[in-house]
Amino acid sequence: MRGHFLTVLFLICFGLGLVKLFSGGGPLARAKTEISFWNGWTGPDGVAMLEVIREFNEANPDIEVSMQRMAWDTYYNKLMVAAMSGRGPEVFVIHASTLPRMVRAGYLDDVSDLYGPQSGILRADFEAKVLEQVKFGKKMVAVPLDVHPQGMFCNADMLVAAGYKNPDGTPRAPATGEEFIAAMRSMQRVNAKGEHDVWGFSWTFWRNNFMALVPQFGGRYFDENGKADLTNPGNIAALAYMGKLMNELKLTPPAESNAGWTGYRQKKVAMLFEGVYMIGDLQNLTDFRYWGAPIPQIGPKPGTLGDSHCLCIRTGLTGKQRAAAEKFIAFLSDHGLAWAKAGQVPARISIRNSPEFQKLQVQSAFAKQLPYLEYPPRTPLLFELIQEIDQAVERVLRGDMTAEKSLKVANDNVAKAIDRDKLENDKELNGS
Amino acid sequence: MKTIRAQQFRSRMFILPYSTSFLVFIVCPIIFAAALAFTQLDLTSKEHLHFVGLDNFREALKDPYVIQAMKVTVTYSVMIVPAFVVLAFGLALGLQAMAFGRNFVRGLIFLPGMFNVVVASIIWRWFYDGEFGFFNYLLKRVGMQPIHWLGEKTIALPSVVIMSLWWGLGGATIILLAALQQIPTHLYEAAMLDGANGRRLLSNITIPQMRPVLLFIVVTSTIGAFQVFGQTFMMTNGGPERSTTGLVQLIYDTAFNKYRLGYAAAVSWLLFGMILVVVLIQAWLLRRAVD
Repeated sequence: MRGHFLTVLFLICFGLGLVKLFSGGGPLARAKTEISFWNGWTGPDGVAMLEVIREFNEANPDIEVSMQRMAWDTYYNKLMVAAMSGRGPEVFVIHASTLPRMVRAGYLDDVSDLYGPQSGILRADFEAKVLEQVKFGKKMVAVPLDVHPQGMFCNADMLVAAGYKNPDGTPRAPATGEEFIAAMRSMQRVNAKGEHDVWGFSWTFWRNNFMALVPQFGGRYFDENGKADLTNPGNIAALAYMGKLMNELKLTPPAESNAGWTGYRQKKVAMLFEGVYMIGDLQNLTDFRYWGAPIPQIGPKPGTLGDSHCLCIRTGLTGKQRAAAEKFIAFLSDHGLAWAKAGQVPARISIRNSPEFQKLQVQSAFAKQLPYLEYPPRTPLLFELIQEIDQAVERVLRGDMTAEKSLKVANDNVAKAIDRDKLENDKELNGS
Repeated sequence: MKTIRAQQFRSRMFILPYSTSFLVFIVCPIIFAAALAFTQLDLTSKEHLHFVGLDNFREALKDPYVIQAMKVTVTYSVMIVPAFVVLAFGLALGLQAMAFGRNFVRGLIFLPGMFNVVVASIIWRWFYDGEFGFFNYLLKRVGMQPIHWLGEKTIALPSVVIMSLWWGLGGATIILLAALQQIPTHLYEAAMLDGANGRRLLSNITIPQMRPVLLFIVVTSTIGAFQVFGQTFMMTNGGPERSTTGLVQLIYDTAFNKYRLGYAAAVSWLLFGMILVVVLIQAWLLRRAVD
């Protein structure tokens, strides 16, 4: 009886082994070069990326790319720890604004040789400012996949109903500061109790809203010597404008409210500033007509904030793995259009110029801002800076401080962080 | 002799798995964190680690964000611990007095504690929503002005306290109820024969008999209050204007957003020191009262 049982067990195991062998688990599969690809695309963008990866795996039977995605906060923590212990993924995504930290930590490999006709990634196919973001010294440490600018989302029906339309009947978003305020006034609906049933405009993610306005007023965060310069007149004007709309003109929901994006989806907010990547949240709404436009020119010059998802290779890859990683990055860069459909603006000019991209209304409208878009400042102390910007904007919107005073507090704190960081790094350099 | 040794060996083998995990996941990290507090470990620096003595502690005690987070932590604890103990004790007394449906009500009270803190926080964030929330819907129905529960500096922390009470009250109530049921009934019978009324029974029998358990509840709820993180992180992310940023959230930001692990470890030890001092004072006061 026992002998029979063992025989049957052996036959089952043998059979399963054969199945595994011929179904791709055998020597052929082991010959595949495995590439682990990490990113923070947990929304519809991640689903679009999975499709691109599936295509890549099909087209390259000798390479197997597996993607791991997690929320950006968790992602960066995990990536940092994995990279520190030398167990990071072969290919991963870093925001252009976060590159300085990763470069300082020495986690990114030089990918300069990836640019060229052999990969199809030509330097001439990117704006200089985009390439500048991935260049550290003489090295290129990443390939920009996209640029995601802050722009203006509008409710198309409300715009048209308020008379903001082109001769062909398509919505026409306000383009100047005056038009912008007039549009807010004409689209807001106030009921008999004095409550807003519809707001013409709402601030959303305050920090990004502020940083999108800063370039318009000629603001900056650091001076030429790397010292904190948050109190420059441009920053003060941008922040004061935000406070004015909310607290003086009462044209936006109050600071305590969180109408923002949710209100926009529910047709209770007509216009707002957000990143292009938010389209993913709108694409499945059947009874909602949205419209994308550049942020109106409120300050003396046009301007907005943007960032890029950059494709990086970890240090230490050699031979087949390095070649596979490069091939994969070239493939992703080449498939920028599929990525654009998920709610991004491709970094490559040739893809943006394609008729297919031009048909993507929001993406192409947001892309018009690229000539004057500004990236966040290049600093390893980005978290310290944005933490202070968050506080500064909040104090003004809540009416607790003037823009000038609030930015002064932020400036002092950023200056302290810079001094501390300099001191610590000097210690390191001196070996103490 | 051999049998005793064999028994000792077997008993040690039984505790070996837990002892190993305790050593690896509790003792070693504590030792590591203690050492870390005296170093500068910045994940974004090329030279990751070096000894800085007491610098991290000196910096922390002068850091306005640490001081503010300490104030928030203490304020939260002062608000929640007395409310927690009084409400849990009141609920336990109520349940003890119930003749019918006690188990059902006990289950209802215990139910919120079954939720993960993230789930509970998300539910309450929607309850508190300024525009579309349940509470403001009720207020509007009765003709009152909506409240920005999580959006106003003065209201945000009490709002978190209310949610935390809802979430955590069940466990303490069950423990207190169990302790109430352990009080010998003859004590009450004797007191009633002597003419004691309800208030005298409570102050002279119930509370003195419950003191060890109350000490346990006070100490554990204080430790929990000082470590508040999940609720504030999910509901307010420390805002508005850092009015709900407690020490644990500050430690999290320092370690995992600024990647300053040495400094974060030093702040953790400050938090540990605060908890230790408060708990020792509480224990001393309650023990003195018992004696």
